[in-house]
Amino acid sequence: MRIVVAEARVPFIRDGAELHVQSLVTQLRLRGHDAETVTLPFNGRKDELLEQACAWRMLNLSTSNARPIDLLIATRFPTWCARHPRKVVWLIHQHRAAYELFGTPYSDFTDSEPDTQLRQRIAALDSGMFAECERIVTNSRNTAKRVEHFNGVSARPLYHPPPLASRLREGPYGDYVLVVARLEPLKRIDLVIRGMAQISSPVRLVIVGDGSQRTELEREAAVLKVGHRVTFAGSLWGELVADLYAGALGVVYAPFDEDYGYVTLEAFLAAKPVITTTDAGGPLEFVRDGTNGFVCEPESASLAAAIDRLAADRALAERLGRAGRHLAQTITWDGVIEQLLG
Amino acid sequence: MTPLRILILEAQVPFVHGGAEILVRELASALESRGHHAQVLSVPFTDSPKDEIVAGAEAWRLLDVSCAGGGPIDLVIATKFPTYFTRHPRKVLWLVHQHRAAYELAGTRFSDFSHTPRDVALRRRLIVTDSRMLRECVRHFTIARTVSDRMLKYNGIASEALYNPPKLAGRLHDGPYGDYVLTVTRLEHVKRVDLAIDTFQKTTSTMRLLIAGDGSIRHDLAEYIERRGLSDRVTLLGRVDDDRLVELYAGCRALLFAPYEEDYGYVTLEAFLSRKPVITARDSGGTLEFVVDGVNGYVCEPTTDALAAAVNRLGADAALAASLGERGQAVAANITWDHVVDRLTEVGSRTETVRAAK
Repeated sequence: MRIVVAEARVPFIRDGAELHVQSLVTQLRLRGHDAETVTLPFNGRKDELLEQACAWRMLNLSTSNARPIDLLIATRFPTWCARHPRKVVWLIHQHRAAYELFGTPYSDFTDSEPDTQLRQRIAALDSGMFAECERIVTNSRNTAKRVEHFNGVSARPLYHPPPLASRLREGPYGDYVLVVARLEPLKRIDLVIRGMAQISSPVRLVIVGDGSQRTELEREAAVLKVGHRVTFAGSLWGELVADLYAGALGVVYAPFDEDYGYVTLEAFLAAKPVITTTDAGGPLEFVRDGTNGFVCEPESASLAAAIDRLAADRALAERLGRAGRHLAQTITWDGVIEQLLG
Repeated sequence: MTPLRILILEAQVPFVHGGAEILVRELASALESRGHHAQVLSVPFTDSPKDEIVAGAEAWRLLDVSCAGGGPIDLVIATKFPTYFTRHPRKVLWLVHQHRAAYELAGTRFSDFSHTPRDVALRRRLIVTDSRMLRECVRHFTIARTVSDRMLKYNGIASEALYNPPKLAGRLHDGPYGDYVLTVTRLEHVKRVDLAIDTFQKTTSTMRLLIAGDGSIRHDLAEYIERRGLSDRVTLLGRVDDDRLVELYAGCRALLFAPYEEDYGYVTLEAFLSRKPVITARDSGGTLEFVVDGVNGYVCEPTTDALAAAVNRLGADAALAASLGERGQAVAANITWDHVVDRLTEVGSRTETVRAAK
């Protein structure tokens, strides 16, 4: 089949969604399909959202160079506005600030009249567009629940392996815990850094990723006098990240209401336990407290206690991590493609 | 120099991969290697049915590319239709082409625009809107003079042709002015390789002709050479790899390249970068943007007699070939990615200077 995967991309930013789309295209090609990505730039500013939806609507992707395109796979807002007779949505996320993030500090929507109207328009637009689609699957149960709740659409989660899957491997349970995340408020790295000030074991923290909060977080580590035990490794990709996973004692992953989150499965594929929180969203679909990691209260003391437990008992870390790996290995691309193409 | 954040705008035709795509990516790496932050921004484009052309252009108009990824975009570089519909205060044009089916191709078998009122109206609308959008650009460059001529004729906008170097530029070098003349071409009728072959029936020097390249009429040409009894003087090399090609350029006396109405002459520039003169014909199109008769080569009538005379002159006088080739090299050496980057980013840099001065 000739398939286009529609993606909204923020220029100069690489994130999980971009990797998701790239992996999907690669996997489709491996199975003999003619697949290609189409993108429009995305800008999260409130006053540009509907314009961008219109821009997508302008695109008729039913043919290219006088040959039909058989299927369009939409991924996130507003890619499902594109015109095509056969659209399938594999939902990464909607415009979160207008949905579940509304009312939290992570949204720029207020309860003003214009903002409320805009939120309603976006929800109505999404619902209308979803009605055009043949099928809606989501990247996680968390995302499926949201779309059911806000748009009244029933959707099934479809898990896929993380992009790093083939490179990940088990290694020694070392003297550091790992965080892999963009350094943005929603990822709550500050919570982990504060946890580092409360642990009793001599464990270090390595943070992979970059973002708008970097300076602030470095300052916080210094103020809490844990700067010497916290390493900001910056943006790393591929083998370097796989190495850091392989040597970690465990992985701390405490975002707020994450959609899906590759980090959980990446940690598991490296046989590392995952420390997460009760409000982390996606990770909770995989992490079972005491089985393959720890599910803590979203408080630094609670994270610190979990890190201390792993540090005190490396055999426990290994047992939990291996249980996690067993779970993560059941998620394969073959299953994904089969269900997507129907 | 302050590094600029630059977006290169590309109209993507899904599942079609061609020269413009390579050009855009080479530009991105040239910008990066000069310390700028450059990214290619692709938006899909479809031209069938024809009504979708306007919608595709409107999509570009709706996009705000003034900011991205936590910072302002200093400069956007528009390439093909409809990328120049973008809104940006510093939109620089490096035009690859407009929607050609609505321009110079209309009325030919290469266009789906016919002489119905509907098509005529759509063509007119596209050209009028193009002119407005093109005029918004702060600087106007094109990839070749033919493209500039077209924009002047249809849109009334003057521009500067800004050539990019051929892909082999970094590897070509000079060498001895040997006993063969080189032709580098795809073997197709429009390249008039038969004219080059026949020329060697008229030459008096001992020069041979080596033809590098492959194509649909290779077999016919091989027979043709045989029939003309030129097998000892003319050789079809077939497709050669880049290493071999560089050496063939380095060792030749001159390049003979006399196609009919070529768009852009990478081959001319490759010969010049190897310090070799170019023999071409006055109806060869793109080569004429660089070859000046008697200065860095010869511009002949498209006849075997005229071309043979040029081959004879260079065949008899290697020093002449060297001095013409030297001047060709001076022309081609000006065509660098550095120059392209300088010209395209001038606007952005100037703003920086103003900002710094304040």
